[in-house]
Amino acid sequence: MTRTIGRQARLIAVVAVIGPGLIAANAGNDAGGIATYSSVGARYGYALLWMMVVITVSLVVVQEMAARMGAVTGKGLAELIREEYGVRWSMFATASVLIANLGICISEFVGIGAALGLAGIPVQISVPIAAVAVWLLVVRGSYKTAERVFVLMTIPFFAYPIAAILAHPDWGSVGKSIVEPHFQFNSGYIFLFIATAGTTITPFMQIYVQSAVVERGIGPEQLKAERIEVTSGSIFANLVASFIIIATGATLFVHGHRMVNDAADAARALEPVAGRFAEVLFGIGLLGASLLAAAILPITAAYVIAETFGFEKGIKHRPREAPVFVAVITVLIAIGTVVAIIPGVPVIELLVAVQVVNGILLPVTLFFVWRLSASKELMGEYANGPVFNVLAGLTVFATSSLSVLLLAVTFL
Amino acid sequence: MEASAPTAPRVFHLALVVGGDLLDPAGAKLGRVDDLIVRLGEDEYPPVTGLLATLAGRQVFVPADAIDEIDHGRVRLRVRRLDLQPFERRPQEVLLKKDMLDRQLINVDGARLVRSNEIELARLDGWYRVVGVDIGVRGLLRRLVPRPFARSVGTTGFLDWASVEPFTGHVPTVRLRVPHPKLARLHPAQLADLVEAASHDEGEEILGAVGDDPELEADVFEELEPRHQREFVDDRTDADVAEVLARMESDDAADLVRELPDERRDEVVRLLPIVQRRRVRALLGYDPATAGGLMSPEFVCVFSQATPEEAINRVRTTQASAEAVAWIFVMNASQRLAGAVALVDLLRADADLRVGDIADVPQSITTEAEVEEIARLMMDFDLTVVPVVDGDNRLIGVVTVDDVLELVLPRGWRRQFGLFGE
Repeated sequence: MTRTIGRQARLIAVVAVIGPGLIAANAGNDAGGIATYSSVGARYGYALLWMMVVITVSLVVVQEMAARMGAVTGKGLAELIREEYGVRWSMFATASVLIANLGICISEFVGIGAALGLAGIPVQISVPIAAVAVWLLVVRGSYKTAERVFVLMTIPFFAYPIAAILAHPDWGSVGKSIVEPHFQFNSGYIFLFIATAGTTITPFMQIYVQSAVVERGIGPEQLKAERIEVTSGSIFANLVASFIIIATGATLFVHGHRMVNDAADAARALEPVAGRFAEVLFGIGLLGASLLAAAILPITAAYVIAETFGFEKGIKHRPREAPVFVAVITVLIAIGTVVAIIPGVPVIELLVAVQVVNGILLPVTLFFVWRLSASKELMGEYANGPVFNVLAGLTVFATSSLSVLLLAVTFL
Repeated sequence: MEASAPTAPRVFHLALVVGGDLLDPAGAKLGRVDDLIVRLGEDEYPPVTGLLATLAGRQVFVPADAIDEIDHGRVRLRVRRLDLQPFERRPQEVLLKKDMLDRQLINVDGARLVRSNEIELARLDGWYRVVGVDIGVRGLLRRLVPRPFARSVGTTGFLDWASVEPFTGHVPTVRLRVPHPKLARLHPAQLADLVEAASHDEGEEILGAVGDDPELEADVFEELEPRHQREFVDDRTDADVAEVLARMESDDAADLVRELPDERRDEVVRLLPIVQRRRVRALLGYDPATAGGLMSPEFVCVFSQATPEEAINRVRTTQASAEAVAWIFVMNASQRLAGAVALVDLLRADADLRVGDIADVPQSITTEAEVEEIARLMMDFDLTVVPVVDGDNRLIGVVTVDDVLELVLPRGWRRQFGLFGE
């Protein structure tokens, strides 16, 4: 009797804390992410699935550190970087986050336009409406409402597992690919390998999860529940990503349709092999993902600006209370919208540029996350333990190397 | 220029002082200035008590009396030889660059948190002091541009130190020793806003600073959102929570009690002063005319193996009222109520006996028992104290005869005796 009550209470605690970790990780399954995962599935089938397991572990390690720092210090990452590493590093991080997030934000609105374009709605109509809706939710809604809607926005992700099942994959070889590492030494494979790591672990995720944990007021006493939340949220996000690979691997790869240019392209390509329904599901997933990320990226940029310069921050505030915070969000959404509806904007070149900025930023962010969360002075008893710290260091090193490698590959 | 100095002292920027050269009296370079040390506390403008410098790869402490002049890019010493001593923090001393620059501060006049983009120094009353901070963007810009250009960047967000209260919780050894007198200028609602906007540790520091004035602390607590109340209650002992609750408006106190975890609630309420405890209980939903609303949680309850002497010792040390300890209660090994014995019987009892041997089977009630029922029980069994138990037969409080009389005495009688006159 008491045991069931205890278990229920624990479950309620976990459900009540659902939010930052789930939102941060799933915002990573955005338009760019879906395009990358679809390309992986279309070109190499299930061959890269084993890698998703490794990436998931890395993502959990990194996100847990950021969430723990938020809970223990009550401060955002940008704030801590400024306090502990000085104004130059903090300016560098702020500037890169702003540029990177602006770029990703544009790609999200492109994604929204593409998803609704599948339903025949022109971007000149769909994108501005979506932009206004996102803006109203973030700026006018309370923190609770906004967060609930963000969580609800992850529901369309369930479209991918369904699409994957509809695509009738050979589950046996799927299972085999997950447990059996497989590597090809050609530039296309390596590029997609690195791009997948880069799109799954992105700097904005750590920044968002830490600042949102702070804004939500999660303290050390709720750390256990928040760790579970971050872990399950990250696993869910990467399961979704894996199902995208399976869905496209079972259809496009098997049918020899190996080239996918963007996420909408992947959806369209699905239709002849998996039916109209699969295309619709893919489109719904893309729309939900792009909307979620279109809200999270401007918020993350605004957190960083406000934390670095000491302005009022938080989506709980009205424009008058936190003018700079709201202004940053507004500007990012506005630029994203305008660029997405202008015909002839070189979206692919833009995405490459964004990837470069993110590639420079990621090692920096991860290094700070790792060092700050290991600091006894800052974290006290909640600092990384010795074994975890080595594991985290390796993760940071490996992920950073991949992102530097991506830079090299992009420029060569 | 120099003549106007007393009225408008020249202001130095910390960021342009640290990193500058440490010079001997003749102007020869000895090393590099790393940080300035100031003493917070007594002075309105904290004085520089020394500096940290790197000489030949070693960090050394330079006391204030060895310093002749501080300027942008250089600090000149008045002594030829430096006594090379490592830095040890004295109470109330902070490092300006490490502990204050880039950190959050309270702008007391605006009642908001600001970030120090620059710390401004000047020579006042014969010594270098912190005169304020720059919270404007230019203070930040100055630190980003190359030094030759930096001096021409003006100050836009100067905030006088008289309006600033720094956080010092992150500074080792200074903790709890620096008073924050300026916070007293703020309204409780403003303090609550600051606590909510600050990080947890900073919030603790604000509450700790107002904690010397318990009334003010309680007022601030009343203004906090429930989420933040819970945050700060979690770190406090039951006694500290009760102390804050005692001074809060009883409806706010009851709301906060509801927020407490189940296992703490009874204990915290038990520790409240009697008047507040009754009000809180009533507000928590106990009908004041039932045992739950009437009971006092202060009583003496001993295990049945205890000797009479041990039980009497408990009576000697308890805070419970004289009425409540007229009867002593006995529990079995599993802490269930097993007996009751009058204090008088205990005094007369043979010292070899155990309390369990002399106790009678008790008459007990639950929290829902109505006052009439309690009065009848007291009359039928000649009791002055009735134990109140929970569903597991555990003693949670006692109702004493004086509380029952207050309610059952006919109105007219009260007027006559003038005891409860309304």
